[in-house]
Amino acid sequence: MTSVPLVSVFSADDSSKVTAKHIPLPAVFQTPIRPDIVSFVHTNIAKNRRQAHAVNPQAGMQHSAESWGTGRAVARIPRVSGSGTHRSGQAAFGNQCRKGRMSLPIKVWRRWHRRVNIKQKRHAAATAVAATGIVPLVLARGHRISQVPQIPLVVEDKIESYEKTTDALNFLKRFGAFEDVQKVVSTKVVRAGISKQRGKKYRVRKGPLVVYFNENAKLLKAFRNVPGVEVVNVTRLNLLQLAPGGQLGRFVIWTQSAFAHLDKLFGTYRYSSIIKDGYQLLRPLITNPDLARIINSNQVQEKVQPAKTTKVLHEVQKKNPLKNTKAMDRLNPYAKKQRVAAAAAIKANTKGTKKIKKNKALKKASRAAYNKVAASLNDATKAAVQEEQDIKVKYFSVQKGAAQTE
Amino acid sequence: MSQQVLWEVVKGNNAFLVKRNGLTLSTDPFNNTGVQTYSSTGFISKNAVGVVPTSGKVNQINNINLVAKKSTKFQQVDRKAKNTQSVYASTLAVKHGVHTASRVIRKRFGTSRVGLQKAALRKLVKLNRANSVRRRNELAAAKAQKK
Repeated sequence: MTSVPLVSVFSADDSSKVTAKHIPLPAVFQTPIRPDIVSFVHTNIAKNRRQAHAVNPQAGMQHSAESWGTGRAVARIPRVSGSGTHRSGQAAFGNQCRKGRMSLPIKVWRRWHRRVNIKQKRHAAATAVAATGIVPLVLARGHRISQVPQIPLVVEDKIESYEKTTDALNFLKRFGAFEDVQKVVSTKVVRAGISKQRGKKYRVRKGPLVVYFNENAKLLKAFRNVPGVEVVNVTRLNLLQLAPGGQLGRFVIWTQSAFAHLDKLFGTYRYSSIIKDGYQLLRPLITNPDLARIINSNQVQEKVQPAKTTKVLHEVQKKNPLKNTKAMDRLNPYAKKQRVAAAAAIKANTKGTKKIKKNKALKKASRAAYNKVAASLNDATKAAVQEEQDIKVKYFSVQKGAAQTE
Repeated sequence: MSQQVLWEVVKGNNAFLVKRNGLTLSTDPFNNTGVQTYSSTGFISKNAVGVVPTSGKVNQINNINLVAKKSTKFQQVDRKAKNTQSVYASTLAVKHGVHTASRVIRKRFGTSRVGLQKAALRKLVKLNRANSVRRRNELAAAKAQKK
């Protein structure tokens, strides 16, 4: 980063007032975003709050069951001894058996906790802090920050002396953080599953995280009853709070002194951390990850060849030039003239040839002959019809006004 | 912050992601296509315009807001700005018709990102049409009531 981004500190009473105008952003916020580290560290650290549990070691085994061996037409699984009850002779002990013990029963000495290398944990925390300063990541986590005046949100230390929840609520409302709290309230759901009978009835979302510095700060009590809000000291930043669920981008509200302490806590790129012994902030693998900017930069564009246009060398579907005149013309421009000439020649030829004339004459003659025959046939039929009519009239007195019959 | 890097963080899981029926969709206000893809996901980009329907009063002509993404060095709200501002967006109500709104969109994208521009314009037109139908119905209902 050539120029250091600056941040304003807001007055606790009035969100439009700024008490310190331009404070440089602590170097932690420039740390490369490493979701892989965070994810790894989170999955392991999340296991550290687990309490040991186990199955009763005697469960399913409190029988003197013995296998009946072979030759009794039953499976060889151990069977409950004795008689006088349904249970006797039933299978026992196996994980597949009803009332049998589970396979690989859980032992208390299961490895519940995971240790993670300190450096990894610190890198994860640093990345998580950096992510809280990036608006799209906070949005992506689902926080409602449309009314928040600035991200990262830094407020003067006055809030550390808040004792009343009313003060805390009003503060949140003033700074647009109440929307996030409202989201938490409205999305409180009864948990699915048995856990609700085990003291975890509700599933509540995470709201803003308030980070303070001074140890005798009273704001913990003020903020603790506000749903979704968590309060934590800078020196004890917790990845599980900064990136809940392994998802980067918690909405964090910093007090001024907490914000200022971050440089000491994580160090900068000029000096390693004062508090975390020997810890140096992670350096990015690529200083400029903006690919679009690199591609469009002068240095790259100068070297790059001009963009190729997609040139169509041939038509997508092959057309047969022997059948398709346009395709033929494309291949042989003279073909058009040839065609025209041929057509003209044919036309000229058809007019003058003797053979054609003879054929024409023959055609004419035959047509004439046909017509004659057809005409005589016509006359004949006409005469026949007339004769029939006369007979009818004469002998059967059909119409024609012939009244009397003999 | 680079769009590429943000995409790598956000593509697997984010608050706007909706996976249903084998589709990967997005409720991101800056996304005009509705499908979650790298280029259409506006909230991670520097330059995006979201066309967003709002629930307005009955007589409001257009219930559309243009939400323009801000890429400021200081992620701060500009109090002097005329539009409604937030840390990540400036909202402009579409009051003076679709044409002025389309101008805003075109100006924003210029000659680059034609696909995004078209998506925004398409959504603007669709919303506008829906609005005009709604408004027509409302007017008719008001008329009927008067009678």
